[in-house]
Amino acid sequence: MSLRLANMGSRAFGRGFLRLIAIGACLIGTATMAQGVWIPAKAVLAQILLDRAFEQSQALGRPVKPWSWADTAPIARLDVPRLGISEVVLAGGSGQAMAFGPSLLSAGAGVGENGTSIIAAHRDTHFTFLRDLRPGDLIELKGITGDTLRYRMTGSQIVRWNDFAFDSHPDRATLLLVSCYPFDATQRGPLRFVGMAEKMD
Amino acid sequence: MGLALLLVVLLGALLGSRLNAADPRTEADPVGSGTLLLAEKGVADRLPAVRLGTDMDVEVSGQIARVRVTQAFRNTSDKWMEATYLYPLPEDGAVDSLKMVVGQRVIVGRIKRREEAREIYEEAKASGRKAGLTEQYRANMFRNSVANIGPGETVLVSIEYQAPVRRLSGEYALRLPLVVGPRYVPPHSVQDARSADDARAVTAPLADPALGRDLNPVSITVRLAPGFKPANIISPYHQIAVEAGGPRRRTVRLADGDVPADRDFELRWRSATADPTVELFRQERDGKQYVMATISPPAPDTMPPPAPREMIFVIDNSGSMGGESMRQAKRSLLHALDTLRPVDRFNIVRFDDSMTVLFEEPVAASSEQIAVARRFTESLEASGGTEMLPALKAALDDRAAGSASGLRQVIFLTDGAISNEREMLATLAAQAGRSRVFMVGIGSAPNNYLMTRMAEVGRGTYVNIGSPDEVTAKMAALLNRLKAPVARNLKVTLSGDGVELTPAVLPDLYAGEPLVLLGRANRLSGTLMVSGTIGDKAWTDTVDLSDAIESEAVARLWAKRRIDDIEVGRLMSAISHEDADTAIAELGLAFSIVTSQTSLVAVDETPTRPLDQPLTEEELPLLLPAGWDFDALFGGETARAAVAASEERANRAARANDPATALDLPQTATGFAGLVGKGLLLMLIGLAGIWLTRRRMPGAMA
Repeated sequence: MSLRLANMGSRAFGRGFLRLIAIGACLIGTATMAQGVWIPAKAVLAQILLDRAFEQSQALGRPVKPWSWADTAPIARLDVPRLGISEVVLAGGSGQAMAFGPSLLSAGAGVGENGTSIIAAHRDTHFTFLRDLRPGDLIELKGITGDTLRYRMTGSQIVRWNDFAFDSHPDRATLLLVSCYPFDATQRGPLRFVGMAEKMD
Repeated sequence: MGLALLLVVLLGALLGSRLNAADPRTEADPVGSGTLLLAEKGVADRLPAVRLGTDMDVEVSGQIARVRVTQAFRNTSDKWMEATYLYPLPEDGAVDSLKMVVGQRVIVGRIKRREEAREIYEEAKASGRKAGLTEQYRANMFRNSVANIGPGETVLVSIEYQAPVRRLSGEYALRLPLVVGPRYVPPHSVQDARSADDARAVTAPLADPALGRDLNPVSITVRLAPGFKPANIISPYHQIAVEAGGPRRRTVRLADGDVPADRDFELRWRSATADPTVELFRQERDGKQYVMATISPPAPDTMPPPAPREMIFVIDNSGSMGGESMRQAKRSLLHALDTLRPVDRFNIVRFDDSMTVLFEEPVAASSEQIAVARRFTESLEASGGTEMLPALKAALDDRAAGSASGLRQVIFLTDGAISNEREMLATLAAQAGRSRVFMVGIGSAPNNYLMTRMAEVGRGTYVNIGSPDEVTAKMAALLNRLKAPVARNLKVTLSGDGVELTPAVLPDLYAGEPLVLLGRANRLSGTLMVSGTIGDKAWTDTVDLSDAIESEAVARLWAKRRIDDIEVGRLMSAISHEDADTAIAELGLAFSIVTSQTSLVAVDETPTRPLDQPLTEEELPLLLPAGWDFDALFGGETARAAVAASEERANRAARANDPATALDLPQTATGFAGLVGKGLLLMLIGLAGIWLTRRRMPGAMA
């Protein structure tokens, strides 16, 4: 009898312990989800703030920080009319800047300079639209000084991250849009998608 | 119940997979992969039972430093412990005293032959008596062992040594190494039981960075009495507080009290008045007379235009260089490349456990070639083992040996974290030819023994770059020194009878470098004369020996220097192994200094450990030297792949002269979908678990 009671007691304890683990799993799961959801939320929110900063920058003709502690500033707006895309591009190309918007890599040419400009962004936030880009698409880049540069998409290529070179003195000014590939991968991989566009006359 | 088990397993897998991925040690088996054997004693991820605190008390008089190192071994456990600690000393330091303090009693150590000292120690250890042992494993690497430290007890072990103060271009430098950097043991050098023991002896467990940097704290006091008014007292790697104790005396302490033992301490000073050109010390011991002289050749009046040179740069990009060291090495090399003139020829060799020679043979330093070399240098990343020998051989491979007569300078940028020093030196001695070897020691705790000996055997010089701010200044100074004419063909005459001078082979002297001589004779009198040629002019300097200042340290410094000569003789096969060992043992016993053949041992008379209580052995873990990258040492595959890729890129860039610019594309995935998915899965499992436990609850209640 006492043996059975003790057995029941230990079983109740075991259940309680399992329940505790289950509740813990729920909490951790919720936290992980929140962490995951926060990333695209931040990307969208930042673009709203960046939009305002970009308009101010255009009005003043110099970069204005979107929020006081930002270590980057908007330098251009990227438009793809056919897909209804309009995003503010940031200076720098650091991982931190890329959380908020596409970034112009400092290795390439600046906006409006003759050469190859390179813009990178996360494949699962700002640059998801790259998969829908087709040769012939019009891509517009509006600098904070007001002039609009018009590019025509010419093609794309898939390369390894460390096996890539670009032409620093092309015949025509070139715009490269860079993101990770494949677009729907869940793991980080070595491949990159490079969309190429040439400046129109 | 089965479902519950599944739940636990799933949870474990989910959480566990993340933990594993973050743990670099599980990624590569250090021994199996053949890249790094230095982790042989592993990583200590728990605090040791015996804690160590070190105090260094330094007395600098004239050009000689006397250092007392007191190590306090505190047993925090409830067991009887034996603790061993591997620590560095200056490569030219001579350890002559060991004292063990137990409570109120001081036990003085005696000098014995190495095997005998070990036996005495082991016997005391087994019989429960307290014992201390100081053994040398390399000229700059020692190990203290303390047996039978009782529960909660503290045993102090204090050793004393003397070392000459280095002088370069009017600046004096005292260097106290505080930590032994982990050494790479090349697999080919471990062939029999003896070499395997040796490899184990020069390694120690490494403290996991997660333990913090509070392990093995060190306090330092330097009492400076240089014999002149010191000025510009600086410590480049530590904050110090300087206190004046009279016009010619200063006391230097660490500003923050204790520091972690993770980088070398260096103190530099200059003379506030004119630089002394000659410094002379003497001592009489056991009927013999000893002298130490420091003589600076004068700077030449006119600088002739530098002759065309051939410069070979050797850069170490092994795992031990990971982090700050690699950046310093790259910056140093880029700086050196900038100073090449088109008439010079150059080449670059990089090595880890593989090796690349940039150009097939040395090329003219045209702007295109320099650009190729810059790209190559910038793309280097640290990983893998340290196979320095093939790189040395490649650098010494002098194709124009017969025809060319110009200067050939080999500049090594490395931390020297290897254990096959002897093999390196032997190769250098045999194959140097017309090449001169210059060592640039990189990082916070380089292997100074290898550096100084290589520079000596290679007839070059050695500088250490310990922090990023020093790169420009020290490289500029080194490169200037390499350009200036050299004092060569040095000869020394010392009047007296039975004179023995060391170093036996006199070096070439580069601008600003003094000649440090140690001599012994039955009777010294009269003068010491140095002669040589600087550029193409003859130079002599004569010193009156009666001006010498008495110093207690000279005889032991002579003995230590003499041992170095014997070691060099051994490398060049001028003396057999047995004869060398015997000669070193005799010197060690006669001068009561710790050598490769002699150790100091101290034994308490009364047993303290009850013999029914077991003794636990512990080797104290060392901190990773500051600036070293733990992941670069213990990671592996990814870093190695990166080097291979960057090499290929550099090669491609070197071949094709197109305007293409290579660019590493950034990682552009936030992976938020994966995070959401994982969170959702965890939550579902949790909910299932709650539902499962709930359904059975009412049954149990009823």
